[in-house]
Amino acid sequence: MNRKRASVTAAVAGTVVGVAGLAVLAMPASAGSAPVLPAVSAEQLVQSVLTTKSVPAFAGTVRGTNNLGLPSVPGLGEAGKFLANSSAEVRIWSDGEGRGKLELPSNSGSESIVYDGKTLWDWKSSDHTVRKSEQSPAEHREHPQAASDPATAAKQIIELISKDSTVKVDGTATVAGRSVYQLVLAPKPSERTMLREVRISVDAETKLPLQLSVYGNGSADPVLQIGFSELTIGAQDASLFQFTPPANATVTTAEPKQDKAKDFPGDAASKTVGEGWDTVLVGKLPTTGATDKSGRSQDPMALLKQIAKPVSGAWGSGYTIGASIGNAVVTQDGRYAVGAVPLQVLTNALEQSK
Amino acid sequence: MTAAVLDRPLRAPLGRLLAAEVRWTLRRPRTIIALAALALAPVLMGIGIAIAGEGSRGGPGGLFGALAGNGFVLPIVAMYMLLPVLLPLLGSMAAADALAGESAHGTLRGLLLAPVSRGRLLAVKAFGVAVVVWLGVLVVALSGVVTGLVLVGSNGLITLSGTTLSVADALLRIGLAVLWVGFQVFAVASIALAVSAWTEHPLVVLAVALAFVLVSAVVSALPNTEWIQPYLLPTGWMSLTDVLRDPVPGTELLRSTVKALCYSVIGLSLAYGRLSTKDG
Repeated sequence: MNRKRASVTAAVAGTVVGVAGLAVLAMPASAGSAPVLPAVSAEQLVQSVLTTKSVPAFAGTVRGTNNLGLPSVPGLGEAGKFLANSSAEVRIWSDGEGRGKLELPSNSGSESIVYDGKTLWDWKSSDHTVRKSEQSPAEHREHPQAASDPATAAKQIIELISKDSTVKVDGTATVAGRSVYQLVLAPKPSERTMLREVRISVDAETKLPLQLSVYGNGSADPVLQIGFSELTIGAQDASLFQFTPPANATVTTAEPKQDKAKDFPGDAASKTVGEGWDTVLVGKLPTTGATDKSGRSQDPMALLKQIAKPVSGAWGSGYTIGASIGNAVVTQDGRYAVGAVPLQVLTNALEQSK
Repeated sequence: MTAAVLDRPLRAPLGRLLAAEVRWTLRRPRTIIALAALALAPVLMGIGIAIAGEGSRGGPGGLFGALAGNGFVLPIVAMYMLLPVLLPLLGSMAAADALAGESAHGTLRGLLLAPVSRGRLLAVKAFGVAVVVWLGVLVVALSGVVTGLVLVGSNGLITLSGTTLSVADALLRIGLAVLWVGFQVFAVASIALAVSAWTEHPLVVLAVALAFVLVSAVVSALPNTEWIQPYLLPTGWMSLTDVLRDPVPGTELLRSTVKALCYSVIGLSLAYGRLSTKDG
């Protein structure tokens, strides 16, 4: 019967439309053809990035993905999540004049950090606490959270490695719906590193670095990636950058911050061996046993025995932890070497610095 | 002249048909009992949280912690807790009665023989299911708002982002949540409606629909299933807590709504395909 066939056709068509809709939804957002942009040399691009001093007003979501392949450390709890392969998202707003807001969603609630030009507010929804600290904008820029801003992170990397790398512009792409140039930094052949390349996506219009991807040897997917998954450039509502502690919150005022870097014992004793991509950080672990949150003292060697594999050589013996783009060695007498290099380079560095 | 009038097929106005279907659905004692039981759930949660007091922590997305002194969060928590099983159960029950139940009683035959297009019949049935679904969600939300205000108390909604919303804004957020949850539940109910068209045993419909929800939830929790996760309904259900953030991150809410609509289109198409080829 004709009518019956027509209705079956309609039913099949409807099902196909539904399944196609699901498939479109499941497709990664970045899929699409590369946009056509005027050609630019690597030097011009790097320079335009470095000269872009002002960050425009924007709202966006920054997504960080980690495929380092580090061993999972028992007893770290929430922090251990970021070591193992994972991804995390941060929502970020800026008004282009120094005020900003960060929101870090997590399973145990949400943390909001608002800087209104004078005061830094840190709200945790899980225990209704607000930490308030008066900071000058310069100090605010040094806040550790600033590293999650891809603009800052990419700039630091360009400055650091331009002399030992080949830098080129490798086509265009789309990041967070915006056209970008892809700046590729690859190690020169003489460098003994496990990194293949670092890819920085620079927004064609605003010259803001939108994404930073680190690739290791022998893998097509980035080992580390931080970048905007959503970005809207434009004026933001001023009320976003104001914070009034809610009625049920406990407000504490933070003491002026001590310079914590000086207190870190390992830092003073560490030095670098080699330069460029095969830089190795060599140093001595603090001799006092570290204590965890609950006050129990932890023996770092006991922890290492659980997660690392033993190695030995002319330089001594110890334990090594390997990740997909680097290695770390800790010797029995408490020295350590870390770098984005093969194990051999680390042990050479240990020998040299003996 | 009279003959000329009778030659034209008589068509009942659509409004009357829809009203009749809704009356028919809502007058079933099981529908009323299910709605009443759903209304009880937020009350029980409210009592539990009032007893636990300020010390309550944990819960989905840390929501129990956010509940203290913040009554407008209770309807959202209640919807979040009921979404994985009980609300889909209500939707599947309505869908099971709509076609398979009528089939079991032999009353579907009458409807199929009547000079009504099968598409129209399915539309009316789907409307009845949708009314039960959104009514169920609304009942949970209303009961949650009342319980929250009475047991926990509130001067507006404190969002997870730390901002305080006015009562009107809070009700708007809850309304948004009702709409969103309704789409999710209706997606499951549409799949149930498709099964309902293929069988004459309402129990089979319930079993298949619940299995569909539970298996989806289990698969989405398994490791190494990332490739299939974007296709599953329950992977988007966590985003309900996004309505408690300020400003609302709309991407995930919108994506899961479109996903639910896709499932609804698939379910209703399959149901239509079966219903239109069914012999009286």
